[in-house]
Order: sequence, then C-alpha cells, then structure tokens
Amino acid sequence: MAKTETFRTGTQARSWLPPLDGGTAIMAVLIGFMGFYVLYPLTLIVLNSFNTATIAEPEVYGLGAWREAFAEPGIWRSLWNSIKIGIVLQIIALPSGIFISWLLARTNIYGANFFEFGFWISFILPNLATTFGWMLMLDPSTGLINNWLRSVPFLSGLNFDIYSFWGIIWAHVMANGISTKIMLMTPAFRRMDASMEEASRMSGASPFTTLIRITIPAMTPVIIVVFLLSVIRIFSSFETELLLGVPWGFYVYATKIVDLARQEPPLVNQAAALGSVILIFLVGFIPLQRKLIARRQFTTVTGQFKPKIIELGVWRIPATVFIGVVVFLLDVVPVLSVIGGSFMTRFGFFNLPKTWTLEYWTMALSDPRILQGLQNTVIIAFSAAIFGAFFFSLVGYILVRTKYPGRAILDSICWLPSAIPGVLSGLGLLWMFLGTPFFRPFYGTLFLLVIASVLGGITLATQILKANFIQLGNELEEASRMSGAGFWRTYFKVVFPLMAQTMVLVAVLKFMFASQQTGSIILLATSETRTLSLLALDQVAAGYREVASITVIFIMMMTLGVAMVARSFGLKVGIRAS
Amino acid sequence: MSFLRIENLYKTFGQVAAVNRINLEIAEGEFFTLLGSSGCGKTTTLRMIGGLEKPDSGAIYLGDRCLVSPEKNLFIKPEKRDMGMVFQSYALWPHMTVFENVVYPLKLRGIKGRDAEKKVAEVLGLVGLAGLEERPAPALSGGQQQRVALARALVFSPKVLLLDEPLSNLDAQLREEMRRELKSLQQRVHITVIFVTHDQIEALSLSDRIAIMKFGVFEQVGTPEEVYFKPATPFVRDFLGKTFLLPGKVSGLSDQQVNVEVKGAATAQLVLPRSNVISLANGFLAVGQGVMVAIRPEQVNLSAGRQEGRTNVVEASVDTVLFLGDRYEYTVTLGSETRVLGSPVSQGLKSGDKVSLELKPEGMTLWSRENESAQ
Repeated sequence: MAKTETFRTGTQARSWLPPLDGGTAIMAVLIGFMGFYVLYPLTLIVLNSFNTATIAEPEVYGLGAWREAFAEPGIWRSLWNSIKIGIVLQIIALPSGIFISWLLARTNIYGANFFEFGFWISFILPNLATTFGWMLMLDPSTGLINNWLRSVPFLSGLNFDIYSFWGIIWAHVMANGISTKIMLMTPAFRRMDASMEEASRMSGASPFTTLIRITIPAMTPVIIVVFLLSVIRIFSSFETELLLGVPWGFYVYATKIVDLARQEPPLVNQAAALGSVILIFLVGFIPLQRKLIARRQFTTVTGQFKPKIIELGVWRIPATVFIGVVVFLLDVVPVLSVIGGSFMTRFGFFNLPKTWTLEYWTMALSDPRILQGLQNTVIIAFSAAIFGAFFFSLVGYILVRTKYPGRAILDSICWLPSAIPGVLSGLGLLWMFLGTPFFRPFYGTLFLLVIASVLGGITLATQILKANFIQLGNELEEASRMSGAGFWRTYFKVVFPLMAQTMVLVAVLKFMFASQQTGSIILLATSETRTLSLLALDQVAAGYREVASITVIFIMMMTLGVAMVARSFGLKVGIRAS
Repeated sequence: MSFLRIENLYKTFGQVAAVNRINLEIAEGEFFTLLGSSGCGKTTTLRMIGGLEKPDSGAIYLGDRCLVSPEKNLFIKPEKRDMGMVFQSYALWPHMTVFENVVYPLKLRGIKGRDAEKKVAEVLGLVGLAGLEERPAPALSGGQQQRVALARALVFSPKVLLLDEPLSNLDAQLREEMRRELKSLQQRVHITVIFVTHDQIEALSLSDRIAIMKFGVFEQVGTPEEVYFKPATPFVRDFLGKTFLLPGKVSGLSDQQVNVEVKGAATAQLVLPRSNVISLANGFLAVGQGVMVAIRPEQVNLSAGRQEGRTNVVEASVDTVLFLGDRYEYTVTLGSETRVLGSPVSQGLKSGDKVSLELKPEGMTLWSRENESAQ
C-alpha cells in the first residue's frame, strides 16, 4: 500500500547552519571586513585599558591605568561636565526646537520657506566656524559685542564671557543645538494629519490648548527619536569645548581623552580607561535606543494630509520676528564675524590707525601650510565620498534586497559608528595602526585619515541608502530578473543608475562631514597631514586669530559651496525623520 | 426664524470660486445633505459652517446669532461654535484611549469626574460601543473608530452635527449598516445634521433634504423624492441614479399633454403630462421642437416580442445580455441609438430578439435638446 510519504521530498533537514553559497560567502566577507573595521579599534581600547605599557611597547597587563585614571578627580569631572552640558543643552534646545518646528510647519508665519532655508544653512555650517565666530563676538576683552556694550552708558556693566559654562552652552545652541532638531522635526510636524487639530478645535479647544494636548503628544515618537539621538551625541562634542573650555581648564569627555593622549609621556592607557567607560554605556544604550526607535507605537502620518495652517492672528508678526532673530543669530552673526575677523589688523580693535587690512589674506593665499591643509582636506573628503558612496550602496543593497543570513549583524555593526564619539574611534585607530606592525607604516599618512573619515560616516550612508532602496521597491529589479538578467547585471544596469542620485547625495554628505571633522582625526594627523580644521585649531591655540579666520572661511566655503551646488541640483542634503 | 441660515456665501481659492454665493435655510432637527462630486464646494461649505475656513463674503447665522460675516468683521472661532464634527479620517487622537478621546470636549467645558464618566458611557452606549472606554484609539477597527468619532462629536450635546464623508472609508457592508444606524441615531437624538457626501445612495436614503452642488453653486435643493423624480437640471438628473434618454420631436400639444415622436422609431408615440416638462431653453413648447425624453430605467417595462400601435411603447432589438446576479442587463438598439436597461427576469432573450419597451407616462420627463451634450 503506497503511503503518502511524497510530501516529504520538499523538506530538508533543519540545520542552523546556512546553506553555503555565493550569498553566504559575500556576507561572511562583509561582516568580517566591517566587523574588523568598526569593532577592532574599539576592542583595542577596552583591551588596552588593562595594559599599563604604552603604545608600541610590549603589553603589561594590570589595573594600573584604571586606578590612576579614576584617582585623578579631573577625569571624573570631565565625565560629569559632559553630562551637565548635555542636560542643560537639552533642556534649552528641545523645547525651543519643538516650538520653532511647530511655527515653521503648522502656522502662518511669514517667510516660512526662507527661514527653513536659514536653519538648513545653520545645520550645514561647520561647528568650528560658528563657535569661532561667536568666540570673536563674545571674547571677554576683545569681543565685538562686549566692546559695543562698554560704549553704551547704562549697559557698560555687562560683559559676556564666552569662556564659561554658559558660553559653551550658547555656542552649542548657536551651532547645531537647535538647527539639527528643527531639520528633523519640521517635516514630521508638517506631515501630521491636520484633522486631529481641527477635531480638537471643534471640540472646544483653543489653538494653544490644541498645541499642548494634541499636537505635541501626537508628535511624541518623533520627539523621542530626536531626544535619543541628542543623548548619544553628548559625549561626541569636541571642537566647541576645545576652543571654549580648555583655555580655562574645563574639560569634557572628548577633550580629556585628547589631553591624556597628548601628555608627555602620553597617558594613552588612562585615555583608554576613560574611553571604555562610555563605550560600555553606549553598548548597553544603543540596543535600547534602536528598540525604542523601531517600536512605532502610533503613526500620525496619514495618506491624506491637508496641512491646515494655524492662524496666529496678532501673534503672526511677533512670531516671525522671533524666528528672524534666531536665524540671524545662527547664520549671519558668526559668518560676518569670521569674515570681518580676517580683514581686521587686530580683531575687535576699531581704533587702530589701520583697522582693516588685506595682509592676512595675501599671506594666507601663499602660505604653504594653508595650501597643504586645503589639499589634504580635499583629498580626504573626496576619497571618503567616492569610496563611501560605492561601498555602502552595495552594503545597503544587500541589507535591503537580499535574504542572506547575518544581515541583522551587519546592520547592527553599521549602526554603531554614529554613537561612538569621533575621538574614541580616533584613539582606537591610533592603537590599531601604531600597535600593529602590519599597519604601522600607514601611520602619519593621509590614508589613515581617509579610513577615519569613512568610519565616521558609515551609519548615515547606510541608512540613507537603505531608505532609498526600500522606497524604490522591488519591481524594477524583478522585471530585470524576469527578463533574464542575473544578480550582478541587474545591479549594474538597473539598480546602479536608479541609485545614482542617492549615491551622489551620500557622496556629498560624506564630503561635507569629512571636510569639517576634527575629533576623529586629531590624534592621527601630523603637521603634514593636517586638514584645514586641525590647522585652524592650531592657529587659534597659537593666538593667530586673524589667520585662523581665513582658514575657517576656507572650510565654510568648501562645505557651503558643495551643499549649495547639490541643493541646486535638487538634492535634499540634510536629514529627514522617517 | 430658520435654524441655520447661509446668505450669499462666497469663497475663492486663488482664482477659483469654490463656493459661489449660495443661499440656504436649514430647519431645526433636519438631516440636510450636501451632495456632489469632488471639487464642487460641499466640504468647503461645511468647513465654513464649522469655522475651519473663513468665507470671503456672505454670512452664516445660527438662530439669531451671526457666526461669520466678513462685512461686519465678525468671526466666531470654531471652538466657540458648539458644533460636533466627524471628519473623513475620523481624526481620533492616537495617544489617547477611547474614554480620553470622548471626554475631551467635556473637560474643556468644565464637566469632570462622575458626571463626565456618566455622559461618556451614555454616548458610547448610543453608538454601540459600550464598555470600550479603556481601549487605545489605534487599537480600534475602522467602524469602531468611526463610532468613537461620532460619540466624541455628540457627547457635549451640540445643536448641530457636521459630518464630512464619514462613511467613505468603510467597506460596503459596514457602510450600509452605519447608514441605518446613523439615521436611527439622528431621530433618537433630535439633532440637526449637515452631511457631506459624494455617494447618492447615502444622500437619498438618509436625508430630509438634499442640495446637489456643482462648481460652487446649488443645482437643486429638495427632498430626495423631489430631486430624484423631478430633477431641475440635466446634471441633477444624470447624477442621481440612471437615466434612460430618448431624443424626439414634439408632434402634438394640448393643455394636458404633450405628444412626442421618438427619433428613429417613427411608429413610437409618447404621451406625457404637460406638468412633466422641465427646463425648456426658451420656456416655450412648440410642435416640431426637438426634445429629450428622460425616464428612470426602473420605470421601463421590457417584454419580449412586438406590440404594434400602442402609445408609450417603443420597439427595440436586443444587442447583448449580461447576467449580474440580481438582474439581467440588456443593451438594446432603437433605430440608430443604443441604450442599456436592466430587468429582473430573464425572459429567455438573446441577441437579435425584438422587444417592446413600455414607458410609464408619469415617470417621463421632457427636456429641451439644446441643454444636452450629444447623445
């Protein structure tokens, strides 16, 4: 009697090992490579915190570094300073960001488009430039604003000192503190279904009550995402505290690490110990953050949206003026200040026989150090952009379109670098390249800096490319496969051209961020491989503010220039809330 | 004094007049529907009544209270108009439970605690959702969300209920169910309802009166039977239900009747009451004038075979037959014209068969030819 066993022919033995084929091989290579690239430097940091010998010496394991590090109060204080700044900044920036996004997206203020462009500019402007610009404005002795205050009779008692805790907070708010939040939240506010607010009005609530009880709570998922992203950046901030904190002995996490690494002899092991503390925190925090971001409890974005504009009535003009002032402070003041600084004989001194001069400019344009810095910056940014765009489009494609095993692991690895402070990756790479004989010849080269630059931009690149692949949908590629093309031909003939615009976007973003970064390369650069940002920091440290202005202007021109060109081609260079 | 009065209401969006000087009076307790296709201005009108849009000119009165008048610089804010509104997307607040959604208007009016709880329970019972207070709003089905939206709009006992296409997002069966419940609800609660829809079945079945809108003006305002059986314009006639149209010529006139000779079927004579003549271009009927006879298909009786010489019977031949489940659909040719008709019984007809179409005289209406697009 024939038994019905035939149904079994389709099933295989269930094994937890994935089938060995081309896909698995690619994934193994990718995970191996990315894992090594991202995780190895970080592992080195943790390992070497238990090592009491310095780099390139044979290891001596012990707890010496940990003990010394945490016996010294300065190190604890730097951690606490970072947290303090983070908390105060969020308390100021988050409500302001929410309020301004609401004004831009849902009310009838004048010139909303123009102001959004202004906040976009503020987001693009390098932190270094804005901080430096405000430094020139609020320096206690030579700052332009302080000079002006002294000349006004009843205000002469006021003297702002940017070299203070509140000065640092101010610089953060002026740089990226609110503009990042606004870039993230405004589109989300705009997409909210207006009927919810209208239903509130019809139920009897005023516009203000509606804002508080309906609009903001409905926006909570977005606000949480923005808040969590900011929390992670607390330990990354570097340039602002370097310029404004170090001169009076105020250290934060990132500046302390660099300080330890630059001592004679370099206290790199203690730096590693300090680094490990936050690393352990982040490793625990990131999965939590991802879970919270992934779990979208309620969606307020509906297919049909009529962005009903809320009428502000008498508040329309005051609100417009308010935002105008904010944009003015964010964009105009620092840029004018930096430009002005490059033309003054001594910044802030208007009473000299010759107040304005071109001498710094003529010097700068033939200064080999500036020219070299420019060259280095261009090479690094360009290489990072090209490599990043190509390589991560492949990674993004594999993550979204294929069903190869291990994608979750690869995705997690790609998520990590955004949370790691640049200084930490720099420290890890320092160990990797100095401490390993194979890599040592690369130390002191531009190649190392390119590697550091690409590392920092991994998360953003993969996220953007993934989103684009998801949005494109399968059907175009499926049509290609049905027509007979294999994986690679489909990739190059169909996927690639469709991805071209996004890849250009990714390349532009990587170029922009690579050209202004400091924290991740400061430990790795030499005086020959300095980029413009590092050069500017050195110039400020040496007191040459006027020349530093010129270097900063070059950086601004590069970033703004590239961003504007991209924008004119219709590229939305920025970040979007998903 | 009418309950809700709209005077010369005018609203433009850019160059387009979305609402073009309409006048309306709605009685208390009336179920009034604004019917039309998208872009006709019905939703804009509703939103102006609610205060979510401002007219360019004109006025709206509730009783003796003026709600809005740009000429008098008067505008009562939506939150002060005390009208309940149900939106097409329901607009339930996703971060609140059913209870919190429904109690929101009460809290704003200072009703709290046990009183509020009682009212919420009452109105949820009214819409058939008793006991669902603690459910989070996103965890509801479409039909349930719609009922919660309704409950929220009714809980503070408003005088007017505004409904913006509330049934269009429901599937067909739920829509039918909700239609019946909505009607019964309105009668129980004795509330004035202004209902906006593009669905003529909803309009016909629910309303006390309907206003059919096109390009911002009212084509006709009347009871459902009026607008269906005695449409005032070709647009209204063709928008509601189906119409069976026959071109013809006036062949005889008397005080009581009009005789029409149907084009292409010279033996067919139609006789219809003079009172069924509608919208003549020059208001004047003459022998030899080209006219259009219109009749609702359900008032045409299709039977097999020929019937020579009877009035109000038109000969035709069957082109195609389609079986639609509850009826048969026949495409018939009369002379050079083709028409579609339904009939519940098969009659064994096939393509090529001759049939007789018997037109009920009271169901026929006469229209001038000039107003029609080429038939």
